[in-house]
Amino acid sequence: MGSVVRLLADYGPAFGQALLLTWKLTAMSFVAGFALGIVVTVARLLPLRPLRFVLTGYVEVFRNIPSAALLIFIVFALPDLDVLIDYEPSVVLTLALVCSAFTADYLRTGINTVGRGQVEAARSLGMRPMVVISSVVLPQALRSVVQPMTSLLIALMLSTSLASQVPLPGRELTALVAKIANDSAAGTTAFAVAAAMYLVSGLLIAWAGATLEKKVRILR
Amino acid sequence: MSRALEDILFGDLNPKAQAMTRAVSVAVAATVLLLVAGTVYQFHAASQLDGRLWELFAWKSTWDFLAKGLFGTLASAAAAAVIALVLGLVLLVGRRSRLRVARWPAIAVIEFLRGVPTLLLIYVCFLVLPSVGIKLSAYWMLTLPVGLSTAAVVAEMYRAGVLAVPRGQTDAARALGLNEARVFAHVVFPQALRYIVPALVAQLVIVVKDTTFGYVVTYGELMQNAKVLIANYRSLVPVYLAVAVLYCLVNYAISRASRRLGRPMH
Repeated sequence: MGSVVRLLADYGPAFGQALLLTWKLTAMSFVAGFALGIVVTVARLLPLRPLRFVLTGYVEVFRNIPSAALLIFIVFALPDLDVLIDYEPSVVLTLALVCSAFTADYLRTGINTVGRGQVEAARSLGMRPMVVISSVVLPQALRSVVQPMTSLLIALMLSTSLASQVPLPGRELTALVAKIANDSAAGTTAFAVAAAMYLVSGLLIAWAGATLEKKVRILR
Repeated sequence: MSRALEDILFGDLNPKAQAMTRAVSVAVAATVLLLVAGTVYQFHAASQLDGRLWELFAWKSTWDFLAKGLFGTLASAAAAAVIALVLGLVLLVGRRSRLRVARWPAIAVIEFLRGVPTLLLIYVCFLVLPSVGIKLSAYWMLTLPVGLSTAAVVAEMYRAGVLAVPRGQTDAARALGLNEARVFAHVVFPQALRYIVPALVAQLVIVVKDTTFGYVVTYGELMQNAKVLIANYRSLVPVYLAVAVLYCLVNYAISRASRRLGRPMH
């Protein structure tokens, strides 16, 4: 216990900032990835063959590429193509792209749970296809994906450790542990503190997800 | 099989709307082609299409080196998968035990390994363990953390599978006089495995992704070998592109296999 106190005396503010940065990266990439995922899902429903083809490729690529390989490509290869993106946006872009592909995948599964009869009924009432999507299909699909999206958000939060692979101006938790382990003998303690912070963040997300799930779940 | 949702939504468009859909389709296709052309032009403008940047792909040695990297990736992923399958079973048995001294530590280990980034565990093996006198080879500095964090996920999958086995199976096996260990080993677990094989295979994609961090500990997997190639031939974009494509292909193949296994077998 003493070592934890000593570590927090030395690095307390640094850990606070690292936790905040982890949360910030998580939130930014989740919001962007979720929004993009919804757009991709809806666009894949449209009766436009070329668009469906391209978006299926998009989802497969970003579901299967390792985030680290994507981040390294964005940070180190894109500048050679005269595309310069700063480090933090690069991390957020990487995670958002991956998150959007998984969101599109889960939402598609959610859409499949919506009864066909409802869609037929809505169409026969004269609702336009886009209105059916936005006011009948999507709301129910969104309510049915709370659980997988919670798991995705937790996985995304853990993936922000990727940011330690690029020289961000600030350090998130994993980068901070690597630095402390390099500089001092307090590596074990730093690891324990960071692990606890990751665990608590994950538990908070899981709790929020479960609460939301209880509120919006559709009982069939 | 009922009609696909897309067909119900857009199946009965009037001729005018159909004509419009066709026009928009063509416009989208044109836009995509323009984007591709733009990307190629950007490559050209940044002089990334120079033959000397790509010529290394004409050499057998390059492909041998990349294949060696891919083999390193798969060797690490396979060992991590074995660790995960075995340790996952141990954790499952602990978690299902009636003894608190077995159950609570198992739950703690599962929650801990699931809740901490794999990369952080890799840094622990790489930076922290040596300072307390434990030295692992590069291979194990990568494989062990990946295997450990996957083990926790696998333990939870096993549990879901076991819970899915109908209760009557257990009751029937007990009624036949099998003891608890044999009920689990001969009746419940084999059936549970069948339920979760697709999920287990899908998890392999994540294992392969996690081994990308091999370059952190300079273990010769695909990403590390790519970095070596780049350092030697200064052909950054082509090599990273090739590596990204290779990763996508491997993981796509695994995903396909998982989906195929997920189909009902009749």
